[in-house]
Amino acid sequence: MTATTTPPLAPATPKAPLFGKAEKKVVLDPLWDNNPIAFQVLGICSALAVTTRLDKALVMGIGVTLVTALSNVMISAIRNFIPSKIRIIVQLVVVSGVVIVFDQFLRAYMYDLSKQLSVFVGLIITNCIVMGRLEAYAMSNPPWRSFLDGIGNGLGYMWILAVVGTIREIFGSGTLLGFTVIPKAVYDAGYVNNGLMVLAPGAFLLLGIIVWAQRSISGYSEKH
Amino acid sequence: MNINSNGYVLGFAVGVCVVISAALAVTANALKPAQDAAAEFDRQKNVMIACGLIQEGDPRPRKELEELFRKRVVEKVIDIRTGEVDQAKTPADLAAMRSPADRARYRAVAVAKDEQGKEDTFILPISGRGLWSTLYGYLALEHDANRVRGITFYKHGETPGLGGEVDNPNWKAQWRGKSILDEKNQLVSVTVKKGKVDPAIAREKEHMVDGLSGATITCNGVNKFVRSDLEAFRPYLSRYWTKKD
Repeated sequence: MTATTTPPLAPATPKAPLFGKAEKKVVLDPLWDNNPIAFQVLGICSALAVTTRLDKALVMGIGVTLVTALSNVMISAIRNFIPSKIRIIVQLVVVSGVVIVFDQFLRAYMYDLSKQLSVFVGLIITNCIVMGRLEAYAMSNPPWRSFLDGIGNGLGYMWILAVVGTIREIFGSGTLLGFTVIPKAVYDAGYVNNGLMVLAPGAFLLLGIIVWAQRSISGYSEKH
Repeated sequence: MNINSNGYVLGFAVGVCVVISAALAVTANALKPAQDAAAEFDRQKNVMIACGLIQEGDPRPRKELEELFRKRVVEKVIDIRTGEVDQAKTPADLAAMRSPADRARYRAVAVAKDEQGKEDTFILPISGRGLWSTLYGYLALEHDANRVRGITFYKHGETPGLGGEVDNPNWKAQWRGKSILDEKNQLVSVTVKKGKVDPAIAREKEHMVDGLSGATITCNGVNKFVRSDLEAFRPYLSRYWTKKD
């Protein structure tokens, strides 16, 4: 697939292993050091909206992972044929196509969840992570690595959503994945669910704390 | 080949669009049956939730719930001019009706039976405009066709936290036990009051539920379409009113 017109920008050796050091880095980097949410602060809007429950957060995470990976592959495969004048709109068409297919599958096999995620599945199209990866990576790297990059970034988005979703569901509704986790005795003793957790500001606070924690552990600070 | 020439750009754009739309058309068509089945199951669940056969978020598998629906719920088509059940038609025919006259004339009603197979609850489809959207739901009446068993909305696009509170279980629970007939057997419907219901006033206690703050237009809409849908079913329901116990 490495086209004859331009050489690939990444240092891909002719007999590179399918999953060597460089590939591993592509997947693992966005999980922590270069996390799309904590580090690049992309995809925040959906992270606030769909994390009231863990199952919603997980399905959304899977959706973004699949969409990023698949559209990365497609764009990467045709990257040398895309005229640069219309590259953004071509990327958008491909992303929209993949998102609609995902939405159709949800409607067919996970109707309840698709009803709750409603408009946010469609809004994956505008998720900055997807467009960001296409522009920054897939346009200049071969398909297999682009695929791994998509998976890595999707998972990096997903684990943060899952953490936020877990905390919000436990403290906001007293359940996890729909199962009651806070025993009735605790409620009888006067405990009440935290209403802030079900609202968007709750997610905002949590996300802020996570970004702070992640950055102080990974030692990143904004350069001035 | 110059990939920045106008001809190439145009051709490329058309090509991408054709390929993607073909792929979408194929997927949408292939998944249509599964999607329709899922939407139908969702509707059945809502019928059962309205009449209290199941609770929201029932953990039982889909097969079991569909079986329960088949066993306990009968769907009939009513000619609303006479209130007679049209035996020849099924709710599926209703969905396929195209002429507005037919659509206005026939309505589906679901009847839930108790364990012994006796008619127990009438579940009437209700729908109408709120603020942003059309609300779709069910109003379930006890076997006297007067007392409300429950209400549920399965599709709407009202503002979450305001009009969207029509989904609030506490609010929906208030509908239970209200009656749509006054003591003279006149249809007064159940209305959403602006503010809180005063239990000291009999009329409010019997026929009203608390308002949703910040959702006046949604509530007005609910009042209007619950009333007009009950009016539409009056010929059918009135046969049960007369044999009041």
